[in-house]
Amino acid sequence: MKAYILLLILITMLYSCTDGIPSVKTASQTVLSPAKPVKGSCCKAPKKAELSRIPSESIFTLNDTFTTQNNAQIKLSSLMNKPTVVGMIFTHCTYACPRLTSDIKSIYKNMGSKKDQVNYVLISFDTERDSPERLKEFAKEMGLDSNWTLLRGSEQSVRTLSVLLNVQYEKDLEGNFSHSNLVSVLDSKGVLKFQKEGLGADHNETLNILQKFVQ
Amino acid sequence: MLISTAFFGVSFAQKKAVNPGKRMLVVKRGLYQPFFITGNNKPVEVKAFKLAETAVTNAEFLEFVKSNPEWRRSKVNRLFADINYLKHWDNDLSIGKSNQNIYNSPVVNVSWFAAQAYSKWKNKRLPTVAEWEYAGLGTPKNIKQSSLTDYILDWYKKPNLPVLPNIKTTYQNAYGLYDMHGLIWEWTFNFNSYITTADSRGNNSDDQQMFCAAGSLNVADKEDYAGYLRFSYRGSLKGNYCIANLGFRCAESIN
Repeated sequence: MKAYILLLILITMLYSCTDGIPSVKTASQTVLSPAKPVKGSCCKAPKKAELSRIPSESIFTLNDTFTTQNNAQIKLSSLMNKPTVVGMIFTHCTYACPRLTSDIKSIYKNMGSKKDQVNYVLISFDTERDSPERLKEFAKEMGLDSNWTLLRGSEQSVRTLSVLLNVQYEKDLEGNFSHSNLVSVLDSKGVLKFQKEGLGADHNETLNILQKFVQ
Repeated sequence: MLISTAFFGVSFAQKKAVNPGKRMLVVKRGLYQPFFITGNNKPVEVKAFKLAETAVTNAEFLEFVKSNPEWRRSKVNRLFADINYLKHWDNDLSIGKSNQNIYNSPVVNVSWFAAQAYSKWKNKRLPTVAEWEYAGLGTPKNIKQSSLTDYILDWYKKPNLPVLPNIKTTYQNAYGLYDMHGLIWEWTFNFNSYITTADSRGNNSDDQQMFCAAGSLNVADKEDYAGYLRFSYRGSLKGNYCIANLGFRCAESIN
């Protein structure tokens, strides 16, 4: 009995964010078009030899396809060869997600001259409303350059990724999401190396780890 | 059902048929009151769906493992299943002669990823938390306790049995589903759902959720101690956990 109460305390740790705001007009379900070549630093499909070097504990072993803000279909293994900073968000979120994005942006800025040597990735919970177009708009609003990859995927794929990244989320009746706020760092082979929870968190350790990876 | 049976008949023609008699039962549309009370405390609509009559058994899971080598105990990726994966089996492809009495018991020591992969292989899916909980509320047909909650709490009180009983050994509910409570805990698709929709901007409901006494005032039914335990249990899981009393059953959408 005490153990169960402890369990409950453990699971009800600090998370945040649902917008009490009614959902904005929803974008119609996106029809995925065939993959197009992508500009920018990420997202070249890795070579076969590279794929064979993906360690089994890598998140890149996930074979699901995601769509970028440029409407390109990619697998997570396209993020190979650079360390990756990941956050899970939805763009209609008015409170936590812009803040989480800002946190990652400040990591980006603090990487200084080495900022181009890291992938910055945002993955949307919102399979209905976050179309590639909407993701692109959000990137523009937030001032995110081509080092950033914004991804949408199927409900199954996003849920699987959330399980791998220990991100909890739930859709509410208005179509918004409650979710935990986590910044994750993957090494250049996609192995989860570090996570920091919370908004406006101190990301010195995150930066130290990234600095080591890009040396 | 006929269509899906026909489909499996074709796609797995060379492989041994996996318990073709597994019945998928319709759970009619209804409203489900989520366990945790949220800002707008409306019941959630659960659309009509199908849920398997019983949990997946060891024998059924063995067929899956035989057809999908990456899910053998010795080969499975630790990211997707921890070291307890199928630890109660003799080896990769054998449940074991001494374990004959569990062939028809629910498979346990399987991760969420394994349950997902099995469901996909069967062209099915895992039920959502709302679907599972809603179906689990089905009135029991044959229990001696005065309420389902009493029945569940009686079960929770007992330690795990040394040998897990077979499927269909507990009770059947009004939907025809067996063993929704009383045999094992079951994986759900969104087990990692966030359990509160507290808005952290204005109120302090996040703080309330931190403490048992305050939080308990916020659950839909204070008497539902059993529900409280299930939500706690789910919240403590990770996707690669394999646990001796945790299995799954498949669901199917109705178009």
